[in-house]
Amino acid sequence: MSSNAPSLDSILHTLQQYLSHGDSSQSQPQLQKAKLALLQHNALIPSPQTPTPTLAAARSILEAGALLSIRSRDPESFIRYYSQLQPFYDFPGLQQTPSPNRSKITGLYLLLLLSQGDYAGFHTLLESLIVAEGSNGASSVEDDQFIKYPIELERSLMEGSYDQVWRKTSGRHVPGEEFALFSDILINTIRLEIASCAARSYPSLPIASAKNLLFLDSEGAVTEFAREQGWSLEEGRIYFPGLGDAKKAEEGDQKEVVSHMIEYARELEMIV
Amino acid sequence: MSGDKPHLNGSDPAEKGIDGSEDVEMKEGSQNPKKALKLNKDKDGDDEMTVVVPPAKGSNSPSAPEKPTEADLKNGAVNGDAANESEAQVDPQEKVILEIKANLPLLERGVIQFDPRFSLRVLRSIPSTRKQLSAYVVATVVTDTYPIPTATAISLLTAVKDDPSFPTQKVEDWHSKKDTSLQKNSQKEILPEIDIYLSILVQVYLYDKKSIDAGAQFSSALVDHLRTLNRRTLDPLSARVYFYYALFFEELAPLPPSPAAAVISIRKNLLDALRTATLRKDQDIQAAVTTLLLRNYLSTSHITQADLLISRTKFPAAAANNQFARYLYYLGRIRAIQLSYTEAHEHLTGATRKSPTAYKASGFYQASTKLLVVVELLLGDIPDRAIFRQPSLEQALRPYLQLVEAVSSGDIIAFQNLVQRYNSTFRKDDTYTLILRLRQNVIRMGIRMMSLSYARISLRDMCLRLGLDSEESAEYMVAKAIRDGVIEASLDHERGFMKSKEVGDIYATREPGDVFHERIQACLALHDESVKAMRFPMNQHRLELKNAQEARDRERELAKEIVDGDMDDDDAPGGDFEGL
Repeated sequence: MSSNAPSLDSILHTLQQYLSHGDSSQSQPQLQKAKLALLQHNALIPSPQTPTPTLAAARSILEAGALLSIRSRDPESFIRYYSQLQPFYDFPGLQQTPSPNRSKITGLYLLLLLSQGDYAGFHTLLESLIVAEGSNGASSVEDDQFIKYPIELERSLMEGSYDQVWRKTSGRHVPGEEFALFSDILINTIRLEIASCAARSYPSLPIASAKNLLFLDSEGAVTEFAREQGWSLEEGRIYFPGLGDAKKAEEGDQKEVVSHMIEYARELEMIV
Repeated sequence: MSGDKPHLNGSDPAEKGIDGSEDVEMKEGSQNPKKALKLNKDKDGDDEMTVVVPPAKGSNSPSAPEKPTEADLKNGAVNGDAANESEAQVDPQEKVILEIKANLPLLERGVIQFDPRFSLRVLRSIPSTRKQLSAYVVATVVTDTYPIPTATAISLLTAVKDDPSFPTQKVEDWHSKKDTSLQKNSQKEILPEIDIYLSILVQVYLYDKKSIDAGAQFSSALVDHLRTLNRRTLDPLSARVYFYYALFFEELAPLPPSPAAAVISIRKNLLDALRTATLRKDQDIQAAVTTLLLRNYLSTSHITQADLLISRTKFPAAAANNQFARYLYYLGRIRAIQLSYTEAHEHLTGATRKSPTAYKASGFYQASTKLLVVVELLLGDIPDRAIFRQPSLEQALRPYLQLVEAVSSGDIIAFQNLVQRYNSTFRKDDTYTLILRLRQNVIRMGIRMMSLSYARISLRDMCLRLGLDSEESAEYMVAKAIRDGVIEASLDHERGFMKSKEVGDIYATREPGDVFHERIQACLALHDESVKAMRFPMNQHRLELKNAQEARDRERELAKEIVDGDMDDDDAPGGDFEGL
């Protein structure tokens, strides 16, 4: 098995080269090979027995795998790599040589959680990052461009400043090409959000303004989108359907009141 | 959390008042007020982190000297304690020794009668003995209690022998009499409960001495020993052992939240203890270890693990009040991080209500109130101002009061300044990330204020007042606020203004009903809890059943007699007549 030792480094080297050239067709089989090599070196999980350089190489291979799965738009495999990487990041033996890619991977994971709408997971991770930052006196989380990006996006999303999200997801504000892959998903999310907000807050809206509000390219796209949402178009204006659910809600109210009363009666009976 | 100490022991007059009264009451206990104060601090320090002391402690410790006597009188067993008290005034050390020794029969009785109340009473006396605990006291008690040097006794002595007050001579004598008393030892065996009680005293002593390393070592050995024992009467004591065990490891370097923190190493032991306790239906340890584990996970911000632990385990319903308070606090924290604010609010309200509010043990109360305030703000409510006026909270919650003011006025600039100014405070309180999330609430509140005060306002003005970057942002935000039901208004995109709708009569909405429902729910829950909290003595129902049985027998007899009597009566008059 020791004869494989040099090959791990060389595999990593070629893998990184493919990765930097963006050659995904070549790197995928190379990654398979690398993982096999990791298994042979017993380096899939960090243990004190494995020499540190091997572990560092293993970490780099897993990171490459994570980036590759983002590029091939495979979130599940990315999450798998991310979970595999965690023990490496926390491993005491590797603390001296922190990985330069760690914040990038973490940032991507945050963005993935955000695009999936998993805000609880997002904040759980963020909490641990900020706590870790406060203790070690390490570089501030909010100074790291990879981590700052999802944090700011989340803040804008929560506040409702969707134009900020739009601006950040497009163009040069995106910190890396992997991050840009999420932009479409996020823009789609905010478009739906805006649509539901608009339906409640505007009595009617001209198509031209709707185009701007919804970040759509043409008026044709607006018409298309409006039809999907079930809005009516008249004389170049969008009319939102009246809030028919108000009545429904009232009915629900009555039911709730009745159920409350029955509950009180039952409780009283138990007491008396 | 320990950072609140300055607030606590700061300039407040209330603190002095309490200390003063304590000195009066405990003249014999503390000739040196400075020392007493210092010990108070230590105690507070550890109250800060977790509720160490049962809620009764605040009132308990000043009157502690009377406590055992009172209790003994009640049980009809005066061990000459009252007499000892006058002697004790001469030497507080001797007095503590006597007190500790007086506790030992209580433990024995607890074992014989199988009643955990006796052990709980002993545990309650720890805070009062704590102040006088020294190597001398421990060594004397150990040498007097154990007729011969057993392994436990020796381990207890080795743990304290580095102290100058350690009575070397006495211990040597004790060692040497080993042979002579060998025959006697068969009469009386030392109960494991007593071993563990004395071990807890050693733990407390080591913790107060700040010998963290020694304490951690001693506790690890103790926990290993505990795992070999299986006695239900030991449970309350073992729970305390685990508590100090975790406390020692928390202060061992490397400190959390470093990924290599020492606390991580005890997780396995705690999980083992939890499993065993669950299997044995040992609720004391189960409750104590669950809270310790949660605290452990949260200290290294392993929130997912903590959440999994909660979902996989069941917290014993019969747990002690303070354990429950802690559990609710951690639960509230986890839920708040996961954005389930309503749930978090519920748990934290429970935690603050259950927590001791006495000034000396206010650390937990402060911590949970801080979190509660932030969660309430996140929910969009404004906490009651009266909360901030309580003497035990006033100092510690000052930044939070300002925060509430900034949020309620919707002043985003003031809010940002506050977050910067109190950055370190909020981080220490572990509320920083939650507070960062408040930004959107501040903006919403600002929008709400404007919607209430203006019938119509241009988006441009709103943007300026909210300190936003662009009019577009303002438009989106207002639209979101309208959708989420924060304000009743509509937007006009072409002319760029927001038009508020007439505010309707609030009593026509379901709001009052909801509030009413909430209160009724709280009352019902209170009733349920009070029923659950009542104490039902063991086997009492059997006595009642027996009584009922007897009563039924009596009744039957009576009925029979009546029937017989009736016949007699029927006979009797006849007889009488006959006689007549």
